[in-house]
Amino acid sequence: MNRMILLTGALTSALAPSLAAQGTQARPAAYAITNATIVPVTGPRISNGTVVIRDGKIAAAGAGVRAPADAKVIDGTGLFVYPGLIDSGTRLGLVEIGSVPGGQDTQELGQFNPQDNVLTAVNPHSTHIGITRANGVTSAITSAEGGLIQGSAALIDMAGWTPYEMAQSGQVAMVMTYPRVGGRGRFGGGGGRFGAQAPGDAAEQQNRQVQELYAYLRNAKAYNERPNPMTQNRAYAALGPALRGEVPVIFDVETEGQIRGAIAVADTFKLKIVLRGAQDGWMLADTLAARKIPVVVGPTTQTPQGDAPYDAIYANPGVLAKAGVMIAFQSADNGVGDARNLPYNVALATAYGLDPEEALRSVTINPARIWGVADRLGSIEAGKTANLFVTTGDPLDVRSVVKHVFIRGELQPWDDRHTEMYEKFRARPKP
Amino acid sequence: MRPFLFLPLAASLGITAAAAQPATPAASSPPAPLPLTVPIPPAATLVAITNATIITASHGTIEKGTVLIRNGKIAAVGTDVTVPPGAQVIDGAGKYVMPGIIDAHSHSAAEGINEGSRSVTAQVRIEDVLREDAIGIYRSLAGGVTALNILHGSANTIGGQNAVVKLRWGLPADSMLFAGAPPGIKFALGENVRQTNQPQTAGRTPRYPRTRMGQEEVLRDAFTRAREYQSEWKAYETARRLLRRGQAEPIPPARDLQLDALVEVMEGKRLVHAHSYRSDEILMLLRVAKDFGFRIASLQHVLEGYKIADEIAAAGTGASTFADNWAYKLEAYDAIPHNAALMAERGVTVTVNSDSDERARRLYQEAAKAMKYGGASEETAIRMITLNAAIQLGVDKQTGSIDVGKDADIAIFNGHPFAPASRVEMTLIDGRVFFDRNKAPTLEHLIEQLKRPRINTTSDGAP
Repeated sequence: MNRMILLTGALTSALAPSLAAQGTQARPAAYAITNATIVPVTGPRISNGTVVIRDGKIAAAGAGVRAPADAKVIDGTGLFVYPGLIDSGTRLGLVEIGSVPGGQDTQELGQFNPQDNVLTAVNPHSTHIGITRANGVTSAITSAEGGLIQGSAALIDMAGWTPYEMAQSGQVAMVMTYPRVGGRGRFGGGGGRFGAQAPGDAAEQQNRQVQELYAYLRNAKAYNERPNPMTQNRAYAALGPALRGEVPVIFDVETEGQIRGAIAVADTFKLKIVLRGAQDGWMLADTLAARKIPVVVGPTTQTPQGDAPYDAIYANPGVLAKAGVMIAFQSADNGVGDARNLPYNVALATAYGLDPEEALRSVTINPARIWGVADRLGSIEAGKTANLFVTTGDPLDVRSVVKHVFIRGELQPWDDRHTEMYEKFRARPKP
Repeated sequence: MRPFLFLPLAASLGITAAAAQPATPAASSPPAPLPLTVPIPPAATLVAITNATIITASHGTIEKGTVLIRNGKIAAVGTDVTVPPGAQVIDGAGKYVMPGIIDAHSHSAAEGINEGSRSVTAQVRIEDVLREDAIGIYRSLAGGVTALNILHGSANTIGGQNAVVKLRWGLPADSMLFAGAPPGIKFALGENVRQTNQPQTAGRTPRYPRTRMGQEEVLRDAFTRAREYQSEWKAYETARRLLRRGQAEPIPPARDLQLDALVEVMEGKRLVHAHSYRSDEILMLLRVAKDFGFRIASLQHVLEGYKIADEIAAAGTGASTFADNWAYKLEAYDAIPHNAALMAERGVTVTVNSDSDERARRLYQEAAKAMKYGGASEETAIRMITLNAAIQLGVDKQTGSIDVGKDADIAIFNGHPFAPASRVEMTLIDGRVFFDRNKAPTLEHLIEQLKRPRINTTSDGAP
């Protein structure tokens, strides 16, 4: 089927529209972005370089590369080519409109839902997908929320006709939340703030939840260690890969106490963990570095808790990176619809101490390594999947404008709803 | 509580009481905006920010320029400004200076936000519930913000009166009030007023109106009552003027603080800031305002403003919007990030606001999005968080740009305000330094402190 489409594409490439669409429409056999500044991330910048894209992959990238005869040429003069940005925490595909209950599919009942598969509920045709990729964010972790174990997270590309076509990795991690006094939700909302309960009650509830989490994991461990379980338990079985260290556990945490608690869980059950959120990460930067625990920071678009310094949230990523912690970023959709602002989350951190080069790595090669896909994503290197974008400048600079987005070698259509609405109403005649 | 407990506070209470006392009815004598009553400590007499890139917001950008501040006002701006001896000099080399950011939609520092029990609460006032100790004030200062439009919430069609403040952190709440700012009021339309996004709980009576149609009726009914009230007062004033010796004094109509505020709106003495999303409801509001002879000063949020930019421009109404928030509710689903730039292109005075203590910290980043989406010029984008906000709030004679004679409300950045790695180094209000990153308690300072050896203490806590 793919071959058919490619063949048709080659035959009609002369007639191909400047913006090739997905699917059955004609598309070129190859693309060449010429004369651009290439920012591979894993190596030095290349001036006046060419990137050749063929069969979904980066066929070549460099200064001495020539555009093949069958390639559709995109003139990159004055433009920059970056690897697609990776958002390490979203609800993309699960939430359409925040206030409409039917438009949210993120919270299962109960505290423990490790068996839940996020890809079941990802809507590949959500307007958020096109709008997110239009700013160069080509891949994202998406996962459910609520309770203590949310189920499996997926790493999806911002393209594809079905959830499984979108998935780079279907079960990239198991998602858990370490209980917090006051039960504040992952995205800052819900769950009530401090003071919603009497402090004693809140602490008691947290204690109870911690015990429940340990008990659940003990049971799951026992289940998975039995050679031939008499009865099948899909929930416990779903934790098998995490308990065997085959996939990481994302621990959503914010406070120092939660971070220490998550590390203790990891020690007890020999889990490979990735901390996410971690506003108080700076307090334990050296520990996290020494133990090689990656941290997904953000969103930086939050206010500090309590009496933390005014710049604590902005400065935290830089402190962690300087200590040697592998960091990545999440937008967490910052409520809803904010994944396109991932690079500006990072920009705030660069203003308060995060090295700009490390900043770029934290949304490209670092998350690719954390999520186990560095062999195919996260940088511009021959042989990697062609998830990349062409832009007018530094992606962390709000003023830069993304011109072209490639996902798996396909030039993405400019079908984001916002641009469509803009063009429609800009053309409205004077009343 | 016993009365004597108040005695030590008598002085400040007296001031508060004076400020809180409503003026005489609007029809007879308009309540002039009350002057700032608590003096603030004086600024350095002379301050000079030298050798900086000055983004004026009114007349372009000046390279290697100097801003001279005398008694809290901008005394000179340019490249050939002589720094008088004795001036406090702030070295602006490598720095960018811009007008202090004005957030045209905030709920910071307000103890209460919504008096939502009724559909019309024009009588309640944000300035009565201001807190000087709200940490949001300080954090906004650290983001270069110098003034806020603190609005009543959006729970009801006609909400309470707003307060325009300067972020004079550390001074009493009354000192924050922006002297000379025209009074204003919050209106609200759409889903929040309809209460459709709130859970229906048993025993809770729904509040009228539940539809946008009902919202129009609330507005027309309120202004019809206000118009009658206004004519009662006019009749009374006429009767008094024509009073002959020996005749009995006419009896004044009963005072109605709610209708007083609405009469002020109709007389153009009180600015309306109207929370609104959809183009249909905005057009309705513009029709109502036209019918009752007043202008809407600003549409707040106005996420569908781009659909009817010409109508908004023709009404002389400002628009204060989010940079790119969308999809958080149904009426925000047609929001586009090009909204600000497109409305500006069609002649609307546009601001980008925060409506949040978080976004207020980085409004400069938000404003830059007008350049990215819709191609606004840099100056247009800068104005969206400075001069245009001052215009919408009626304080553009005092602030909003770096011009001689204006208040020295200034933000100093370590790079271009729109560049990714830029941050605020210093924020001045009336020439006083209210934020200085070098002296601020930062995370870096805290980490340094925590590294220091602790003082040995005995078990009873003594050193």
